[in-house]
Amino acid sequence: MELSVHQFRSKAEQQLFDLFAQSAAALPGAANPFVSGLREQAIKTYGSLGLPHRRVEAWKYTDLRERIGDIGPLIGSGGARAGEAELEAAFGEGLAHLPAYRLVLVEGALRVELSDMSDLRAAGVEVGALAHMLEMPPAWLKETLGQVNPREDDAVLALNTALMTGGVALRLAEGVTLDKPIHIVHLDGTGAAASAFTRNVIVAETGASATVLESFGSLGLKGLLRNAVTEVKLGDKSAIQHVKLQREALETIHLNTWLANIATDARYNAFQLSVGAELARNQLYVGFDGEGSATDVSGATLARGKQHCDTTLIVEHRVPRCESRELYKLVLDDDARGIFQGKVIVLPDAQKTDGKQMAQALLLSETAEFDSKPELEIFADDVVCGHGATSGQIDEDLLFYLESRGLPEEQARALLIQAFVGEAFEVLDDETLRDAFAATAADWLGAPAE
Amino acid sequence: MLEIKNLHTNVDGREILKGLDLTLPTGEVHAIMGPNGSGKSTLAYVLAGNEDYEVTEGSIAWDGKDLTEMDPTERAVAGVFLAFQYPMEIPGVATMTFLRSAVNALRKARGEEELSTPDFLRLVKQKAKGLKIDIEMLRRPLNVGFSGGEKKRNEILQMTLLEPEICVLDETDSGLDIDALRIVADGVNALRTKKRSMLVITHYQRLLNYIVPDKVHVMADGRIARSGGPELALELEKSGYAEFGGKATAA
Repeated sequence: MELSVHQFRSKAEQQLFDLFAQSAAALPGAANPFVSGLREQAIKTYGSLGLPHRRVEAWKYTDLRERIGDIGPLIGSGGARAGEAELEAAFGEGLAHLPAYRLVLVEGALRVELSDMSDLRAAGVEVGALAHMLEMPPAWLKETLGQVNPREDDAVLALNTALMTGGVALRLAEGVTLDKPIHIVHLDGTGAAASAFTRNVIVAETGASATVLESFGSLGLKGLLRNAVTEVKLGDKSAIQHVKLQREALETIHLNTWLANIATDARYNAFQLSVGAELARNQLYVGFDGEGSATDVSGATLARGKQHCDTTLIVEHRVPRCESRELYKLVLDDDARGIFQGKVIVLPDAQKTDGKQMAQALLLSETAEFDSKPELEIFADDVVCGHGATSGQIDEDLLFYLESRGLPEEQARALLIQAFVGEAFEVLDDETLRDAFAATAADWLGAPAE
Repeated sequence: MLEIKNLHTNVDGREILKGLDLTLPTGEVHAIMGPNGSGKSTLAYVLAGNEDYEVTEGSIAWDGKDLTEMDPTERAVAGVFLAFQYPMEIPGVATMTFLRSAVNALRKARGEEELSTPDFLRLVKQKAKGLKIDIEMLRRPLNVGFSGGEKKRNEILQMTLLEPEICVLDETDSGLDIDALRIVADGVNALRTKKRSMLVITHYQRLLNYIVPDKVHVMADGRIARSGGPELALELEKSGYAEFGGKATAA
């Protein structure tokens, strides 16, 4: 393959490129011209960008070139066990037993025998292993893959397109409403350092609605580089609640990108809770392409030790009368670092846009750091947009109130932290899910769950 | 018996209590009245153990125990309860969750078995009814969006559930209309026993028509300036706090 690439500056940068060169012929869909075309275009993009570093504005606080060391091989099937016990250990009881259509990805590939494929099909959802579908993609996948709110400037996304090995593709047919969430479980494997590139595609046709939960957890692999992408295409009047729990092992580098395109009168609600990984970068790119739609992109980060968690989102209003809301809550202890970058773009046609953004951090130590960078780029004149950021410590008056009722200081603190984070969970309308997330937060705090 | 002797207290380096002496025998209800700024609320916070209020001199003894050596949690366990003038709003904590945490924290600290959820719910429902508290209110975040009356009734509900031995009510009547005042006063009166002492802090005599005290103390400039029977409150109603350094208007 002839490629003009820039001079790679780090070993990892070169290794990622080599990983593609070595494995391209064996990647799923290698024989399919559409898929191999996508991959080649993507590796060219990566070649011209290299790994993002701090002089790239969007990566100002998260220098991947510096942070990523050696690149492990593509994760392969080692037959890691992923039964109920493993799920419980990885995600906690509440989430592991959440009533849902379960789709289980282990070692970068869908385990059909652990997944509720036929139940999901009976409910009106076309579902398949991405690796399988890439060999001969159906028309709907061809119209979607790599085309949902695409970004040319994102090397992490480009790497995923070049190297994606598995994941799931879902199509909710017109009017389908699911009675329980779809739960996409992402587990690593066991053994030595490896890299996992997974890709999910969700298409919600006119009037379809569902909750899709993606959970990320560990089976004990040491040194995972995770690059996971999900593309969500929302048709007219559709509604997707897209929820994530990231509870990866502490040695993991977690890179996650969600892309969403929203048609007319549709609703996309995203919520992410991050508690794991040594370094996490959550990217959300949401674009409005139809009027009268709305999105709520919210989340919470709980970090301690030397954890680094970066959430970067771009919401692009391209058409009139859409509404966007963002609320992020961060609890940072020890030397943890939390980053929130929220960009709202309102293009000239997007009159009557209503956009609000808020990021709030609770700092539990003197050395924790919160970096917030709201960016509003407004090119229309009849809009309502606002943003805010706060950072503070536990309110001593509230603490006194709780202690005066007999709560020991530690329990009172935990309750206040749970309360701070709990406000973010309120956007989840599924009560079981909200409880499971509250339990995860309580678990992180070492407090009894409600 | 609660015995406060020569109590001096600083807030932000400024002396507010300047040698306060007060004795509250077990089972009695005493009212503390006084002009704004006389140190009434400071006394309430000091008794509950707020660390912003620094005791520089004097003692607070209760049945031989030195309260000043205890943190707020320990005082609550020992039986001290402060009904706040401005109860805190805590978004994200359901009132019911808070109540159960408090009741069980105290039971645990006192070596009693924690209440199960159904047992606790039964208890709350029964106690809430007496205070005309709708159970739906308790599902809302603690004090968030509560009216003034709801907040105060919630304080009395906590007092009822936690069964303290010393109750300090800090201007519990402020912001209440006459109906709410009656409900709150009935709730307080229901808790009057031979073993429970109460300190009712108020600016106005009105509350004392409903909660009739055994004794009335008037505070001025960080000390008890005068003590007497319930009739002292009526006298103040007429004459105001002028002689105690307050404005010359009737209280």
